[in-house]
Amino acid sequence: MLTYVIRRVLATIPVMAVVALFVFSLLYIAPGDPAAVIAGDQATPADVERIRQSLGLDRPFLIRFGEWCWQILHGDLGTSIFTNLPVANLIAQRIEPTLSLMAVTLVFAVCIAVPMGVVAAWKVGTWIDRAIMAFAVLGFSVPVFVVGYLLAYIFALQLDWLPVQGYSPLSNGLWPWLKHLILPAVALGSVYIALIARITRAAMLEVLQQDYMRTARAKGMGQTDLLFVHALKNAAVPIVTVIGIGIALLIGGAVVTETVFAIPGVGRLTVDAILRRDYPVIQGIVLLFSFVYVLVNLVIDLLYTVLDPRIRY
Amino acid sequence: MDRRTFLKSAAGAGTLTAVGGLSTPAISQRVTARVLRFVPQADLANFDPIWGTQYVVRNAAAMVWDTLYGFDENLAPRRQMVEAEEVSTDGLTWTFRLRSGLKFHDGEPVLAKDAVASLNRWAARDTLGLMIKALQDELVAVDDRTFRWVLKKPFPKMLLALGKNSTPVCFIMPARIAATDPFRQIGEYIGSGPMRFVRDEWVPGGRAVFERFTDYIPRQEPSSWLAGGKQMQVDRIEWIIMPDAGTASAALQNGEIDWWENPITDVVPLLRKSRNVMVDIADPLGNIGVFRMNHLYPPFSDVRARRAILTAMSQEDYMRALVGDDTTLWKPLPGFFTPGTPLYTEEGGEILQGPRNLDAARKLLAQSGYAGQPVTCLIGQDQPITKPQGDITVDLLKRLGMNVDFAAIDWGTVGARRAVKTPPGQGGWQMFHTWFAGADCNATHFGIRANGDKAWFGWPDVPEVEAQVAAWFEAKTLDEEKAATRRLNKAALESVVYAPTGFFLQYQAWRKNVTGIVKGPLPFFWGVSKTV
Repeated sequence: MLTYVIRRVLATIPVMAVVALFVFSLLYIAPGDPAAVIAGDQATPADVERIRQSLGLDRPFLIRFGEWCWQILHGDLGTSIFTNLPVANLIAQRIEPTLSLMAVTLVFAVCIAVPMGVVAAWKVGTWIDRAIMAFAVLGFSVPVFVVGYLLAYIFALQLDWLPVQGYSPLSNGLWPWLKHLILPAVALGSVYIALIARITRAAMLEVLQQDYMRTARAKGMGQTDLLFVHALKNAAVPIVTVIGIGIALLIGGAVVTETVFAIPGVGRLTVDAILRRDYPVIQGIVLLFSFVYVLVNLVIDLLYTVLDPRIRY
Repeated sequence: MDRRTFLKSAAGAGTLTAVGGLSTPAISQRVTARVLRFVPQADLANFDPIWGTQYVVRNAAAMVWDTLYGFDENLAPRRQMVEAEEVSTDGLTWTFRLRSGLKFHDGEPVLAKDAVASLNRWAARDTLGLMIKALQDELVAVDDRTFRWVLKKPFPKMLLALGKNSTPVCFIMPARIAATDPFRQIGEYIGSGPMRFVRDEWVPGGRAVFERFTDYIPRQEPSSWLAGGKQMQVDRIEWIIMPDAGTASAALQNGEIDWWENPITDVVPLLRKSRNVMVDIADPLGNIGVFRMNHLYPPFSDVRARRAILTAMSQEDYMRALVGDDTTLWKPLPGFFTPGTPLYTEEGGEILQGPRNLDAARKLLAQSGYAGQPVTCLIGQDQPITKPQGDITVDLLKRLGMNVDFAAIDWGTVGARRAVKTPPGQGGWQMFHTWFAGADCNATHFGIRANGDKAWFGWPDVPEVEAQVAAWFEAKTLDEEKAATRRLNKAALESVVYAPTGFFLQYQAWRKNVTGIVKGPLPFFWGVSKTV
């Protein structure tokens, strides 16, 4: 097992190298110029050129790529062209809100979606099943920003229960932290709930057809134990897989959610950096997200062995 | 109350206290009233007002750095850090004396050498600064409070240059910081103004924080825009970045923010219904919509093609697309200068007035030799001001029978591509859209200059326009300035240096417990107070 983990961690290195090359090349050929954005509307072409030179953007691709790789190997993600702050600092400033949002969303979504999927499978073909699946379709179809605005209108403007926007660090207290995350997590979680609930239902339906479930029923096992101990455990592998895949959804959804709820997270940092062509920041964030994604996949693979003892690496 | 109920209540209260859920005591509510929460027009992504000339940087910098002179509400430069100035009878030597007791935020005194270094850095990036530099014989500190600027030729607009609010503004920084290459960003934010920038709390894209600088010595006269006594009524100003207008609108109604710099027109009716919110015009000098044609390549290298566009275009169409049907927010603009300013003129504006004549425009186009070649129109899709203007232009060009190459790109790409001088089809372009702040639109404005290669993107080369710009610079009285401006407006419209699409206003909104907000080209925070 340990060898497997080490092998997988080492395998992330070539993956990250390919990602780095791909991102750098893509940004190199993408239209737009940070020097023009910095120079502002009234800059002359000469001003733009001088800023481009001062930023080193006039140098050949290979030299710039080589320098960047060298920095990365030394643990330095570079400096933002716009803010003049280290990219690592910018990401560090923004990572807590994003991680908090993703964690709360994940917990909220799993707690709601898994029981929903189990109940839908149990009551398959009934109005309960249909209502849950209709909710799932709705959750998947309505854009995050629409859900966000509706929630803000009802719970912040009309009822005045929760804040409209912003983020309060965990260090300021648990309730202020959670209070700022409830609406964003519900908005972001709506898609995620729909996805997990549908997969849970499908996986449970398959398991519930198995002979050993019939045997368990014949032995007189209670419905709750039957569903949540025997069936759910056997259906867990595809559910965990989809939760893992869904983290990519969360990363994408966080961009919109952070914008709607004015949360200063990594998602908004990404959008701002792209619009400004802040190359070092974009590169740093993409590398980080790639690493997180590889890591999540590794954790999911390892979880398989816990959930299904027959799986061994 | 029985023992069990009491214990439950006590435990509940304890938990609430632990998680910060109890309402704040009165003393901290009073503290809250010293904090003003403001939503700016854009993110403060950098904080060097010379290196980055975005308005949002200028607006924040105006709190942190003071200026030698400042524009007042009559657009006249008034002394700010300067106590007195003296100009020699030949107009060649300017001697300035700083006020006593001025301090930087690190406690060091503001000296003449700091002013000299700051002027040098500013002059390397500013249009007027470059003009003064070109005439400069020497710029030296005479003593701690006095510096002298000696010129080879008189420059009557010296105080205007030092006090103007268009970017880059001549802010005064410590000499060691001002020594930074003007094309590189400063890394230290030691100011000379009434508010201190709290670097540790700066989260680009999230928020920026400013705290009152207690050693700042304001002038004694009342404040007026960038001039006068900059008396701060709050201890702390938090800029909260909100890219989404719906969120900012809800946050203002909910009392989570106090002042929103530029609410979009769509949400204004909603804000007006809120009993705790005030809405008013932000800047009476407003903005001017603009599109520029490339003077280097056909068809717009021929003045008849450029005049064809002006003959056909309807400024009302542009303004309705941009601002909506509220006619109090916009007006047609047959010229380049801002309505409500002393130099406003409509001289030569007939081409933009009266019924639009598409037939005449088509004839002019044919005379220019246009034969259906593609016209590359750069349209920034992510800017609420450029997109509707671009859509109207594309429709206009099609109605004129032109072959439009619609380049729907983001603003960052427009910024890069408009600097490309190669022919359209090889990366170049024929049209792009933007807008100018009305407060900036005078004869010094970069957009109206027509000095060929040195001109702004589009590179018009019209000696008559340049002659009138020079005449304005040399004007000694307001009447002379007005006469020069009239001639300039006429010449620039005849040659179509650029196409104005109209004059429009924008709103600002604030909570009713905030007072002292004035209308102006930037948010002025001095004099603004907030009650609980």
